[in-house]
Amino acid sequence: MPTYLVRRFALALVTTAAAVALTFALVHLAPGEPFLAGAEERFVPPETIARLRRDFGLDRPLAAQFARYVANVARGDLGESFTRRRPVAAVIGETLPATLLLGGVALALSFALGLGLGVVQARRAGGLADAALSTVALALASVPAFWLGLMLLLVFGEWLHWLPVAGMTDAVAGPSRGWLALSLDVARHLVLPALTLALVNAATVARFHRAAMLEALGADFVRAARARGLAEARILAAHAFRAALAPAIALAGLSVPALLTGSVLVESVFGWPGMGRVAYEAIFARDYNVVTGVTVVAAVLVAVGSLLADIGVAAADPRVRRA
Amino acid sequence: MSISRLTSHASRLTSHASRLTSLAAAALLATACARPEAGGGGPTGGTLVIVTAGDADVLFPPSGASTVCADISGLVFSRLAELTLELNTVDDSGFRPALARSWEHADSLTLVFHLDPRARWHDGTPVRAEDVAFTYDVYLDTLVGSRFRPNLAAIDSVTARDSLTAVFHFARWYPEQLYDATYHTRILPRHLLDSIPRGRLASSAFARAPVGSGPFRFVRWEAGTIIAVAADTGHFLGRPRLDRVVWRVVPDLGAGVSALLAGEGDAIAVLPPRELRERVRADSSFRMVPYAPNALAFISFNLRDRDRRGPHPVFGDRAVRRAIAMAVDRATIVRSLFGAEGEVPVGPTARAQWIWSDSIRQLPFDSAAAGRLLDEAGWRDGDGDGVREKGGRPLRFVLLLPTTSRTRQDAAVLIQEQLRRVGVHMLLLPLEFNLFEQRGLRRDFDAIFQSRNLDASPAGILQLFAGEGVRHGNYGRYESPVFDSLVHRAIATPTRAAARPLWREALETLNDDAAALFVFSPPFAAAVHRRFETVTIRPDEWLATVTEWSVPPRSRLSRDR
Repeated sequence: MPTYLVRRFALALVTTAAAVALTFALVHLAPGEPFLAGAEERFVPPETIARLRRDFGLDRPLAAQFARYVANVARGDLGESFTRRRPVAAVIGETLPATLLLGGVALALSFALGLGLGVVQARRAGGLADAALSTVALALASVPAFWLGLMLLLVFGEWLHWLPVAGMTDAVAGPSRGWLALSLDVARHLVLPALTLALVNAATVARFHRAAMLEALGADFVRAARARGLAEARILAAHAFRAALAPAIALAGLSVPALLTGSVLVESVFGWPGMGRVAYEAIFARDYNVVTGVTVVAAVLVAVGSLLADIGVAAADPRVRRA
Repeated sequence: MSISRLTSHASRLTSHASRLTSLAAAALLATACARPEAGGGGPTGGTLVIVTAGDADVLFPPSGASTVCADISGLVFSRLAELTLELNTVDDSGFRPALARSWEHADSLTLVFHLDPRARWHDGTPVRAEDVAFTYDVYLDTLVGSRFRPNLAAIDSVTARDSLTAVFHFARWYPEQLYDATYHTRILPRHLLDSIPRGRLASSAFARAPVGSGPFRFVRWEAGTIIAVAADTGHFLGRPRLDRVVWRVVPDLGAGVSALLAGEGDAIAVLPPRELRERVRADSSFRMVPYAPNALAFISFNLRDRDRRGPHPVFGDRAVRRAIAMAVDRATIVRSLFGAEGEVPVGPTARAQWIWSDSIRQLPFDSAAAGRLLDEAGWRDGDGDGVREKGGRPLRFVLLLPTTSRTRQDAAVLIQEQLRRVGVHMLLLPLEFNLFEQRGLRRDFDAIFQSRNLDASPAGILQLFAGEGVRHGNYGRYESPVFDSLVHRAIATPTRAAARPLWREALETLNDDAAALFVFSPPFAAAVHRRFETVTIRPDEWLATVTEWSVPPRSRLSRDR
C-alpha cells in the first residue's frame, strides 16, 4: 500500500505541474490583450496598455515570464490579478470556499441520489420503473447544466418564489446576523445551484451504479447468499451494494473535475461567488495570473480527488493494492 | 404552452395576493416608523437593490474600468460641480454646486473653485483645496494610468490658494473648461492616500473600501456578489432619501431579470434585449423608465489598407462607402431589433448629447442609387455570380463583430442581406471581445462593428473621427481637414446656439463622406420597482439623481426597514 500511495502521489504532482505549464503557455499565447476591459465605455490609450504590460512583466520573453512565475509560485505567490489589482491568492482564497461548499454538497447529493437510483433500477431491471428512470437519467445527463439551472431558477425562483435565485446570502441582511441565521440563509441560496449540479452528475452516477449492481447481483457470492436463504434486502445492502461500490468511488474522483467545470457556468447563472466564475471572467479578460492560479488550485483539487478515490478503491478492493 | 401560461397566471395571482397583504402590513408599520428627513423634504428610508451583471474591478475612481465602479464612485465620491439633467456641457449654467459651492473664471485661463466649508470626508476630516490639487496630480500621474488622463490634457496645473480655494490653470481657453475641470474626476482624500505609492493605489486597501465625501458611504463588498453603500446622514448637501443602495451581482442577464422578478432586486440600469424588456414589462411591480441613450453602434470602415501603404481597396473610395451606406435600410434594422424603441443615429452622436438634431442631413436609403454609384465606380457584376468585381477583385470585405453582442450580430446579418442585394459580399467574423478590440486597436480589419458609450460632451468625437484620433480611437483612420476644422471651431464656440450650426456642418460632412455607418442607438430604459417614487435619470449616469429617489412608507418592503 505505501508504494502504491507514493506512486499515485508522484503521478498527481506530475499531472498538476503539466497542467500548470500547459495553461501558462496557452493563455499567454492566445490572441487578445489583457488590458482592454471597458474599452467600449472609454478608450484605453496604447501607452497606458504598454505601461501596464511593463508593470506586469508581460513585455519579457515567455520563457522568462514562466521561470519567474514558477519561482514565485514556489514562494507561494500566484501574482497579481490584472483586472482586480489584488493578489491572485487572495482572490482565490475568497472564492474557493464557496466553490468547495457548492461542489461538496453537489457531490454528496449526486451520489446519494445516483446510488439510490442505481439500486432501485438494478432491483427492478427490465421493468417499467427501470425504463422510466433510465430515460430520466439519460435526459438529465444530456442537458447542459446551465440550461437546467435556468429552468430551476425560472420555476422555483421567478414563478413560485420558493427559493432565492441569486448569490450566496441575502443582499441586504449582511454578515452581522447570528451564525445560525447566516447558515440557514446560505443553505437556502445553495439549494438551486447544488441541485443543478447534483442532478446532472446523479444521472451519470445512477447509470454507472445500475450496471455495477447488476454485475454484482449476478455474481456467485450473491447466488450463494441467496442459497443460504438470506433476505433480499440484506443481500442487496450487505453484499451486492458493497461489491458495486468500488466503481462508484472511482467515479467520485472523476466527478471532481466535472463538478469544477460545471460550476463555472452554474456559478454564473446563480451569481454564486465561487472560483469557477472568477476563472470564467478571467479567461475573457485575459487575466493570465488568475487563469493560471485557478488552474493550479483546480489541478491540485482534481489530483487530490483522484488520489482519495484511488485510496478508497484500493481500500475497498485488495486486488487493486496488489496490482 | 397553455399549462405554462396557467402556471404563470396562478403564480402571479398568488404573488399579487401576498404582495397586497404584505403591502397593507407594511403600510401600517411604515406609517409608525417613518423618519422625517433632516431637510424637511419628506420621509426617508428604503433600500434600492440593483441587479448588475458584473462585479466592480476596484473602487478607486481613477483606475476603475467597470460600470459598477463608475456607479459606486458616483455615490461615494463627489465632484466639484455636477451637470444638471440637461447635460449642457458648454456654459456654466449647466452645472450645479457640489463640493464647490461657487466658482468663477478669474481670467480666460484660470478657473477658481470655492469649496463648501461644510464638506467632510466620511471619516469626519474636512474636504480641503489640497485634496483637489492632490486629485488632479493622481489622475495625471502616468504611474496611476488613469483612462481619464487624456480628458485633462488642457489643464496645466491645479493649486490650492488657501484651504477652501482651488485654482485650475488651463493651457488654453475653451468653453468646456468647467466641464473638463469637474466631470472626469472624483475628488480623493489626500490624507488617506498621500502615503501610498502611486503605482500601488489601485491595489491598496482603500481601493477595496473607499472613503469619499459623497452622499453615500461605503459599507461592504463581498467579492463577486454584493456591494453595499449607506446614506451619509450628515451629508453637507442633505441626506439622501434612501437608506441603502446595494448591488447584487448576477452575471447572466436572463438570470438577473429572474432575480428581479423573483423579488430579489429593485432595478436594472439597462436592458437591451427586447425579450428581457418584455419580461419585465409583463410584471406590474416594475416600470420601465426610459432615458436618452448615450450609446452608439456603428461600423467603422478601414480607409487605409491593412499594410498601411495605401488606401483600402474597397473603403478607400468615397463613392463605394457612400453606396454601401445608401444600400443599408437602417430604419428597418432598428425596427427589427428594438421595435418602436430604438433609434437610427443621425451621425456620431446619441440623443443624450445636446448636439443631436433630427434634421441633420444623412445619406438616404436608396438601393437603386447605391447600385448606380457602384456602377460608376467601376464595380460591376461581370460574371453574373451576384457579386460585383473591379479589375478581377470581387466587392467583398470582412466585418468584425464581438461575440458578446447579440444585437450587433443580429444587425450584421440583416446588413449582410441588404448588401447582398446590391452585389456586395460582406463576410461576418464574430470574435471574442478581447480579440475583437485588439484587432481594432491594431487596425487589422476591413470593417469593424463598434459600440461606444459617448461622454456628455460632444468633444469626444475628436477621438473617434478626427485626424488627431488616428493613433487612438479613430480606428477607421478617417481624415478630413474640413471636418477637423469644423469640430475645433464648434468646440471653441462659447454658446450652444452659436456652436450648433458648426456641429451640424461637421456631422453632415462626416455623413457625406460615409466615414462610418451609424447603425443604431439602443433604447435605454431602466427597470425600476414601482414602490420607488421621484425617479429621474440623468442619461450619462443613471444613478446621478438617486439621492432624490424615495420609497413612501406605505409601499415599503421588509428590506426597506
